[in-house]
Amino acid sequence: MLSLAAAFTLAQPQCDALAPSVARLLQAMSSNAQRGNYSGVVTLQRGNDMQIMELSHRVENGQASEELSRLTGQDALVERTDHPTDCMHPGHQLLRSAEIIDGSFCGLASVYRFRVQPGDRIAGRASLRLRVEPKDMYRFGHVLELDQDTALILKSSTFAADQSVLEQFQFASISMAPRQPADAVVEYEATHPHPHESEHLRRGVAWDLAWLPEGFMPTDSVPKESQRKSYTDGLASFSVFLEPLGAAIKPGEGVERQGSTVAYTRGTLLDRRPVLVTVLGEIPTNTARMLADSVRLQ
Amino acid sequence: MRNAESNSPEITAAETLSALADDEAQELELRRVLRDLDGSPELRARWYRLHVARTALSGETVRPSVDFAGSVRAAIDAEPALEQGSSGNWRRTLGSFAVAASVATVVVLGGQQLAATSSNSDRDLVARVAPLPVGVVNTTGAVPVRASFGTRAVPTLEPADRTAYRELARQRLRRYSQEHAEHASLNTPQGMLPFARVPVIEQ
Repeated sequence: MLSLAAAFTLAQPQCDALAPSVARLLQAMSSNAQRGNYSGVVTLQRGNDMQIMELSHRVENGQASEELSRLTGQDALVERTDHPTDCMHPGHQLLRSAEIIDGSFCGLASVYRFRVQPGDRIAGRASLRLRVEPKDMYRFGHVLELDQDTALILKSSTFAADQSVLEQFQFASISMAPRQPADAVVEYEATHPHPHESEHLRRGVAWDLAWLPEGFMPTDSVPKESQRKSYTDGLASFSVFLEPLGAAIKPGEGVERQGSTVAYTRGTLLDRRPVLVTVLGEIPTNTARMLADSVRLQ
Repeated sequence: MRNAESNSPEITAAETLSALADDEAQELELRRVLRDLDGSPELRARWYRLHVARTALSGETVRPSVDFAGSVRAAIDAEPALEQGSSGNWRRTLGSFAVAASVATVVVLGGQQLAATSSNSDRDLVARVAPLPVGVVNTTGAVPVRASFGTRAVPTLEPADRTAYRELARQRLRRYSQEHAEHASLNTPQGMLPFARVPVIEQ
């Protein structure tokens, strides 16, 4: 066994180990979020903007149904039903495994530093605080307050490098029981893009990214021509969109930030083809810019 | 050089239209073309095609019309009259696109799949206009790029750099947020929360 392990570590990059207590916490956080019954009122604060919504999650016969119902602003309900609880998307795989994935990179521990501390009381419940600090400048930091009993995220704050808070989400009230969905003006059934199937997508030109920040992996397999490609490191995600243009465009870039979300759009020529690249996600602007830089036509 | 003494008013007017696009039309010619536009369906159609061909809106069809000519006229009429004798190669600062910028929502990025075609294939040209995924900016900052038709360059309007690209980034945020949230909600630990970041949920 020992010699096997030794050979294994030689063949692989050196990985930082996740402290077992942290690994267990992350696993519980991920699996209870998918398998538990809970509902409550949530606030989302981004800059001066505060939204209030209800979240509900229920599991019946191995199928999860979850919904988000907006109580402020647009009267909209988003639901995802019949999602098998054993269906694990890459983001959750990263949360639940401190192992090497695909033999290509190490898990969360190589890109984030974790510390567990006593937490505050949130929505009337005791919590543990999990501080998550990025080891590089390509992603944001987080402070997650996890329910002591269920490891559900009761509150999460996203931090920029200068320690300013970009976004804060927290339960104002929570019950460990699902609630029946209310009616809403706009009801949207979220799709379930399967990680291992090519969905039917808008097709453009074949392209890829020459660079990905360490720790990020694709959320789903899409054809090279897909106009959208999404990535996750387990805690954050971003999507890259490539639109081939029919005519030349004056080169330039535009940035729009809302809370932790950035939309970075660049018009450029790739192999003399005019394209518009958009990187959208919960990442620093500089990361988005570097990703746009790394788009290559094939 | 255009021949002002041409025998065919239609051709001259058509040439003037192109000159208008090239920002080279002279004051008197411009007024005459605008007058002719009212009386000539063919010229109006040509005007329409010229503008459709250089206008692409995000998923919308543009219908420039004689109203546009009207606004050009209004803009010209609002200008102080030119001094007598200043004729010849005086170049208008208020070419058609500058006027468009001042009186209407500006299409910041025109641009269609317009291959070089033979000079009298305007119909073909219009048929091949496909809307580009680019947007509109309410700004007077759009910079007209010289463009001509037929066998010459593809018409485009350049974005007024910062403003236009910022607006483009905003538009893309609105357009793509929901699609991104689909993936974020399955691959980050807060479940459906990413949908709360979508400005407007669409069915």
